[in-house]
Amino acid sequence: MQQNNIAIKVKGLSKDFDISESGKGFSGKLKALFRRKRKIITAVDGIDFEIKHGEFVGYVGENGAGKSTTIKMLTGILVPTSGSAEVNGIIPYKERKKNAAKIGVVFGQRTQLWWDLPVRESFDLLRVIFRVSQSDFNSQMKKLDQVLDLNSLMGMPVRKLSLGQRMRCDIAASLVHNPPVLFLDEPTIGLDVLAKESIRNFLAEINREEGTTIILTTHDMNDIEHLCKRLIILEDGKIVYDGETELLKQKFVHEKVLEVEFHDDGNVIHGIPGVTVIREQGCKKWLTFDNDNYGIGEVIGTIASRYKIKDISVNEPSVESIIRNIYNNRVTLATPSEESPTK
Amino acid sequence: MNPKLFLKFVSVSFQKQVTYRFDCFVGIVNGFLYVFIFTSLWKALYSQFDTTVHNGYTLTAIVTYAVMVMAVRISFTMDDSIIYRKVMDGSIAIELVRPTSFFFMNLAENVGNSLFHTMARTAPIVIISIFLFDVSIPFEVIRFLLFVVSCIVGYILVSMMNFIVGLFAFWFIEIFPFLLFKYAFYTFFSGGIVPIDFFPEFLKPLVKLLPFQYMLYFPTTILIGRASLAEAQSIIMAQLIWIVIMGVICSFMWGAGKKKLIIQGG
Repeated sequence: MQQNNIAIKVKGLSKDFDISESGKGFSGKLKALFRRKRKIITAVDGIDFEIKHGEFVGYVGENGAGKSTTIKMLTGILVPTSGSAEVNGIIPYKERKKNAAKIGVVFGQRTQLWWDLPVRESFDLLRVIFRVSQSDFNSQMKKLDQVLDLNSLMGMPVRKLSLGQRMRCDIAASLVHNPPVLFLDEPTIGLDVLAKESIRNFLAEINREEGTTIILTTHDMNDIEHLCKRLIILEDGKIVYDGETELLKQKFVHEKVLEVEFHDDGNVIHGIPGVTVIREQGCKKWLTFDNDNYGIGEVIGTIASRYKIKDISVNEPSVESIIRNIYNNRVTLATPSEESPTK
Repeated sequence: MNPKLFLKFVSVSFQKQVTYRFDCFVGIVNGFLYVFIFTSLWKALYSQFDTTVHNGYTLTAIVTYAVMVMAVRISFTMDDSIIYRKVMDGSIAIELVRPTSFFFMNLAENVGNSLFHTMARTAPIVIISIFLFDVSIPFEVIRFLLFVVSCIVGYILVSMMNFIVGLFAFWFIEIFPFLLFKYAFYTFFSGGIVPIDFFPEFLKPLVKLLPFQYMLYFPTTILIGRASLAEAQSIIMAQLIWIVIMGVICSFMWGAGKKKLIIQGG
């Protein structure tokens, strides 16, 4: 049975939102009382993908691209307008409760803990909600405590936790019932570098050790580069890339970045064919050039012959810059990859 | 729904109420004022006529009704804007990713709320009123048990009504006007202010078609002895039929509303 290996299956999934707008000012509001302007917004527009058990997938896109809407359909919160989805063989929007028992969800922007209760009581409630036996619960909590260091937080009311502490608790909360599939909607939003690091390490570990399938939406490309082997990029509700994160670099890198440190900071760089300055900082300048049409030796030679150079290095563009280019439509995505869904 | 989980959530909601102690004190004063106003009004009205019985109520009976219907109404206090607020701030998303029934979680939250109001407000108001006003209740254990059953069923009906109106937030987001309408209909047509027997004739057929009278009026008539024990049983039967009807409406609304839901704030 090949089917058993599939954790998530999405086919032609779409979601329209019916937004009624009220006008501006008093008269606009008054008019809206009688006649509402209706606007249909397609948040997710016929997407297809399959995710196997044990995969760690980055799901990225600009704000409003439809990431969160997709997650909300896969977790049973929203009902799709058309298309179908299956998570662990369950249709989430038809069997919400059954699906909820087998997934973990973290929304970075809101907590699933009880604001007024101590952390310990929140976990105890979740234990009852997810019908976890006391012994399973104890061993799971022990495991979570080792990596997320929860013990010191247990007695504190949730509202007194810092964002980083709260996020550690929230991630632990989503794993109380040890779900095979974990959805993370911007779990590192607003966290400092250290907190991000520890959460990243933890996620990599449960993916590796427990084989937990993880779908991560984030705006932090470092998260993606560190964690996600596979990347799905969404734009205007459509998938524009679905494939390995590494492949993305090979496919779309037509540019290289030169980091040049000059002897003095007065240099104005212009007139070198194919080269543009993308950033300046004192004597340092970052230049980019078209790798396909201009040789690297040629470009460095030209710069060296015109200016006094102290140091020079060649950088690969980061995933972040590639994705930024995709958002800005500077890269065409006619044939993204072999793994893109075919109809 | 797991009963253990239900009770856990009742207790969480109860504890939440305890933190608002000042509200509770104001609530006692406010509730008592209502009782005082209504009983005074009835006394003043009755003194205007030579006949001592109106629509089957003696002065003692109507004062008893006024006190007791208020007591039931205060016990039935629940926050009818819970669903609205959860839709408004998007926190409904968190509840929907749990393997629990939204309706029963909502009911548990209401029950915790009401238990608190029963202990902290209804009890003192009833005790004070028994001493201050001419209240007479028949002492029959079976009658009291039937009253409790009728109250529980009536309570579920009120909770369902609030659930249905709350779900309007899935369509309209802003539902304050609906809540106002509901409040007016509920307090008046449930007999919360005047017993149904005093309603004008042209309203009575309408009242019979609505579920409101089964929320406050009928449970109260069982308690104060206006309904015989046999009548009490048929009242409870009718209430149960309404539970089924309202239950169907709830699940229909829930099914339709889910498709309309928009999660605010991402």
